[in-house]
Amino acid sequence: MRNRATAIRIVVIVWIVAAVAGDVALALGPIPPGQASDLASSESLVILLLAEIAWPVFSAVLAALFFTLVVNRLAPPTAEVSAEALRGNTRAQTTWIVATLVIVLSLAVYGTVALAIDQPGAGISTVSASLPQPASADQPLEVQVIAQQWWFTYRYPSYGGIETAQLVLPVNQKIQFHITSLDVTHSFWFYALGVKADAVSLNDNVVTATPTQTGTYRIQCSELCGLWHGNMADNTAMVVSSSAFATWIQQQTTLDAPIMKFLAPYSHTYEPSAQLIYGS
Amino acid sequence: MSSRPTLARRLNEWGLLLGVIGAVIGFIIGFAIGTKAIAGSSDLDHSLGSDPGILLGYALSAVGFLAGMGFLNYPIGRLLGAKRPSEEDNAYMHGEGGGLGRYFRMTTDHKVIGLQYLVMILVFLFVGGLGAMFIRTELLTPVPSVANAQSYLTLVGLHSTLMIFMASAAIIGPFGNYFVPIMIGTRNMAFPRLEALTFWLLPPAGLILLSTVFLGGFTTGWTGYAPLADQNVLGMDSYLMGFALIGLSIGLSGLNMIATILTKRAPGMPLSRMPIFVWSVLVTSFLGALASPALIAAVLMEMFSRTYQTTFFVPSGGGSPYLWENLFWFFGHPEVYIFVIPAFGLIMEMLPVFTRRPLWGYRVGVGGMVGVGLLSFVVWQHHLFVSGIAPSLRPFYMFSTEMISVPTGIIYLVALGSLWRARTRFSTPMLFIFAFFFNFLIGGFTGVFLSDVPSDFSLHASYFVQAHFHYTIMGGEVFALMGAIVYYLPKMTGRTMDIRLLRYQFWAVFLTFNGTFLSLIAVGILGMPRRVISYAAYLQPLNDSASIFALALGLSMALFLGILIWEVVIKQRVAAANPWESLGVEWQVPTPVPTFNFDRVPVAWSLPYDYDTGKPAADFGPAVPALSGA
Repeated sequence: MRNRATAIRIVVIVWIVAAVAGDVALALGPIPPGQASDLASSESLVILLLAEIAWPVFSAVLAALFFTLVVNRLAPPTAEVSAEALRGNTRAQTTWIVATLVIVLSLAVYGTVALAIDQPGAGISTVSASLPQPASADQPLEVQVIAQQWWFTYRYPSYGGIETAQLVLPVNQKIQFHITSLDVTHSFWFYALGVKADAVSLNDNVVTATPTQTGTYRIQCSELCGLWHGNMADNTAMVVSSSAFATWIQQQTTLDAPIMKFLAPYSHTYEPSAQLIYGS
Repeated sequence: MSSRPTLARRLNEWGLLLGVIGAVIGFIIGFAIGTKAIAGSSDLDHSLGSDPGILLGYALSAVGFLAGMGFLNYPIGRLLGAKRPSEEDNAYMHGEGGGLGRYFRMTTDHKVIGLQYLVMILVFLFVGGLGAMFIRTELLTPVPSVANAQSYLTLVGLHSTLMIFMASAAIIGPFGNYFVPIMIGTRNMAFPRLEALTFWLLPPAGLILLSTVFLGGFTTGWTGYAPLADQNVLGMDSYLMGFALIGLSIGLSGLNMIATILTKRAPGMPLSRMPIFVWSVLVTSFLGALASPALIAAVLMEMFSRTYQTTFFVPSGGGSPYLWENLFWFFGHPEVYIFVIPAFGLIMEMLPVFTRRPLWGYRVGVGGMVGVGLLSFVVWQHHLFVSGIAPSLRPFYMFSTEMISVPTGIIYLVALGSLWRARTRFSTPMLFIFAFFFNFLIGGFTGVFLSDVPSDFSLHASYFVQAHFHYTIMGGEVFALMGAIVYYLPKMTGRTMDIRLLRYQFWAVFLTFNGTFLSLIAVGILGMPRRVISYAAYLQPLNDSASIFALALGLSMALFLGILIWEVVIKQRVAAANPWESLGVEWQVPTPVPTFNFDRVPVAWSLPYDYDTGKPAADFGPAVPALSGA
């Protein structure tokens, strides 16, 4: 009996040490997707909080499993049949169910609040369909992401609706991504900004994020879209200073000028041709 | 006793050959009608045929196969005025005296069907596993190496779809069919011919799916998202028809199990005295019967889109890709609990045998499984968190998804309660039970991050998801399957595997499994999307680690199969009658189990977990002559 009590104590102490050490390590370590935008930061925070709660619970269940399985085995056998015939324990069951309910409900409440406050991530368009105004501090810059097999292109309606093959964004400017597709379903994943939204034909999927760090990033398709899905990626997406952005957009406007009359007028969705869906 | 076998018997004996002939004839007729009569006006034909030709060919080949197997003999014979089959014929159909041949024909014996399922599941598992080995070999390098884009995606689709076929029936097929009737003390299923049908739908489904390689393959993976599916070549039809047959099998098996469990229990066995594995089968059967119609409807609509150009899922034709996603996941999410609830039940059924104690918290354990089953119907939209549909509904689906951890947690409570202060016997099946709880714990906790909408934006559709569901399906269900094979083979075959050798195999498979999928969790967190043949160069070290572990995992799984075949088929190591000293009814009947299980139907006394008193669960006493009328 005394051996058992000692064993329980040891396991509990090991668990406390592991739980605290794990949580401290989580708090110190980098948490994906990082801090390159307000959206990414809020996702990192949620992931960190979930991990901080999950790790002690996870390790407690593991410790209990380890204890019941292994430590019981180490004690010298007294009889072939187990000590007592326990058929259940109402208090233990109630405590367990209430405890898991409390954790789950608080997670759900927290997630709902986080969703309501930050409005992060993909959502069907609720903004006005009229063409947006030029970006300002309080007015987000609208950038359209057009997915098609197998690349992304981008349109800047505030700059005459020019279309580019490279994504360049000004830092510290609120960006409103409008994501749509010309053929099958794709998903636009800008890992560093924490942006992931499906691109669905004839649908306008809206995500808002403010990049906070300049740099060159990877964007890729994260919904299986056919043969070259794996190659629908681009390592040249950039977040640059607002002056560099102004220079870049000026260059692009000049480059695009001769072809502007061939581009479809800017719109939140584009009618795909049946050929694109059915192939030849 | 007639010396000449009846016509029905002869047809049945040659069923498999007639079935193959029927399948070939059916395909030719269907293909001809589809290609000549329907496809003439279609612009969708390809060099290998046309969608109507292939689909109709597949459908009629399945019908031809089942007709050849003899599924229509009884109804047609009766319609033509044949007498009811004699007792002797019934016993024959039940596989009596059939020897090895009865495993290759249609029988109505649930024990034969259980073993047929076991073999078929293992075939699917290992063919699908071979696909996984190719995938991991390809992913050793960040650019295409051994495969090209088309063959890679076809491999991904075949691996995943075949594994879904396997997992849908991995526990309930072999062990549900074999043991549920024995556990509830009955001689037969409620619909024995239907039970045979649910099994014999599997071989055509598997072959039709695999035949996609002759038709150009398909690029959609197992989720078959439209409109990509509309764009695919003829190989897509194999996926659609294979999945339709599996959906049919899941639904019919569910109805049969529900009817059997609700109506054929032995006297003295109310629902509250049913072995917990039977409860898990009951819950799963409701999920299968209610969810599979959505799948069948969805694949049928996609077949129509590919033949009649109905454009159900094509936006420019007035359809919606979200319709497919909703129908598919309305089936797809209960489906994953169809995988795992029988594993819960089986694990809880085996635990008391090794802890030598009553099952702790039987009622709350049943409640947990029922709770998981109910919630599984209201969580499917979490697959659409980033799809752009109905963002205002996301908080509800986040809540319902997170709620699932409460009833699932109960299963852990039952395990901990059962193990608490128990003198656990560390036999090999117990190792697999322990691994089940370890793996499923990781599967469950990775699920928390996916259920929460803000964190899901980063992790959705990445390798994190892939690792998550491999932890639940492979780490959970397949580990339970391996444990159950070790545990139940002595009963099912009268032979046993070398459980000492299996210990090494267990540690190999446990460590390599965790090595593989822990690497893939990290790959997903760092930003690798699923189903890509090319990936960012910085992800190569982790992918290589996953691949090397995966190849070792493949070898350890092959070792399991090798031991199984060597010991059971070749060496035929004879098993003790009740090697685990279980009190379960299934272990009290003789091995091999008599054709009709019991001389007389037993009377249930209690749950079969009274290891403290050793009291048997049911009365097996011989029939009282005066009462049985002998």
